[in-house]
Amino acid sequence: MASVIGTSVSMSSLSSSFKPSLVLTSRTNLKSISFSINGKRFPVLRSLPGRLQVSCAAKPETVNKVCEIVKKQLALPDNSTVTGESKFAALGADSLDTVEIVMGLEEHFGISVEEDSAQSIATVQDAADLIEDLVAKKT
Amino acid sequence: MNIHCLQRAFSSASSSLVPLQLPSPMDTHFWYVLPEEVKSASLVNEYLGLLSPCERDNVLSMRGDQLKKSALLARVLVRTTIARYTNFQVDPKSLKFTKNRYGKPGVDWQTEDGWLPPSLHFNISHTSSLIACGVTVDSPIGIDVEEKSRRLNNHILAFARRYFSSCELEHLTVISDPEIQRQEFMKLWTLKEAYVKALGRGFSAAPFKTFTIRFKAPTRGNCLSTDKATEASEIIVESFGDPKNLTSNWQFALVELAGSHYAAICIERAKTIEGGNFSVPMKLTVRRTIPFVEDESVSENSVVAIGGQLCINDHIH
Repeated sequence: MASVIGTSVSMSSLSSSFKPSLVLTSRTNLKSISFSINGKRFPVLRSLPGRLQVSCAAKPETVNKVCEIVKKQLALPDNSTVTGESKFAALGADSLDTVEIVMGLEEHFGISVEEDSAQSIATVQDAADLIEDLVAKKT
Repeated sequence: MNIHCLQRAFSSASSSLVPLQLPSPMDTHFWYVLPEEVKSASLVNEYLGLLSPCERDNVLSMRGDQLKKSALLARVLVRTTIARYTNFQVDPKSLKFTKNRYGKPGVDWQTEDGWLPPSLHFNISHTSSLIACGVTVDSPIGIDVEEKSRRLNNHILAFARRYFSSCELEHLTVISDPEIQRQEFMKLWTLKEAYVKALGRGFSAAPFKTFTIRFKAPTRGNCLSTDKATEASEIIVESFGDPKNLTSNWQFALVELAGSHYAAICIERAKTIEGGNFSVPMKLTVRRTIPFVEDESVSENSVVAIGGQLCINDHIH
């Protein structure tokens, strides 16, 4: 299990039978690192100016589901590239589309999204992270 | 930069923007552009030249030509529209914009000695097929446009149950004709959007569920101009938890544009009106434009009042 102490990462009590894979998100400045072991997500380091913040990045399945719902709402062709990085606005989603997408996500994941949270969603990744946050709070 | 340089800069464009007088208080000027009417590649290049580097990057990041075009036209419409009201003092390219702490855009006037910038408020809205900009003086404004024919992916009542107030849900539920129900939904949506955008405090300041927009039977309004007045229903907003006198500060108009779009406009009433019952209709002037190419005052058939007390002006002075 990865843990964060100050600015260094110590991998304590990690079983030798696991082989962690380092997944780097493609951003211009390296802002987050996630560890994925056997498909389970682990805490993520996000380097915000001045401090380290630990939060959890969404599972690929969640991101994929969001992509699917977004593509359907915006009537994008199946082969169009939609990833975690994709911005709703750049895909052509207006405020009504965004609200419809959030509604679709609420129904699929069994969650309830506050209006101000919904408005702060800019990318597919934002939506996926929010979903998992809400799902985790539910359980 | 002296005024003669600016005038030369203006006339180097294919045709200059005619300077206009500011709207008077309670006047709303509403400009719109139809992307399908912008066809020339050289015009599109000229438009791109008006944008800031940041705006240009944003336009180019849009997925597909149609989205790029409407993003471009939105910026062009805002810049050229505002420039019209500065009496040649500011050219569209040099305008700078800022956002309030809730993200509502405003002009960041670069003032030179002795020049007082106009007290303009503006708000933009766009669909892929129509881009609009509303302008007022001394009154916050919010607008929203939607295609009349737009369909929801979700069921209308399920959507209204989730996002609209219970009064609005009830209003929609009793409509048996699905097409009329859909149209009433779109009217409510645009009005609610326009209201929140006029408030300018972000969506969390007025979540859609916490206020009701409804149509009230017309009260005897007093139209101050000889132009066509409407006896349409008054549109009012009621907010839970807010004292009634705050929400009665806002005035709405709903029009149908070019037979294809709903446009909702929300402005703050002038504060000088005394007594609660007297209401001054909104004076609305609608212009279709292709910036630098043509401006057209729209015919009676192109702008049809649906709701709100308003007078539709024939011309801008």
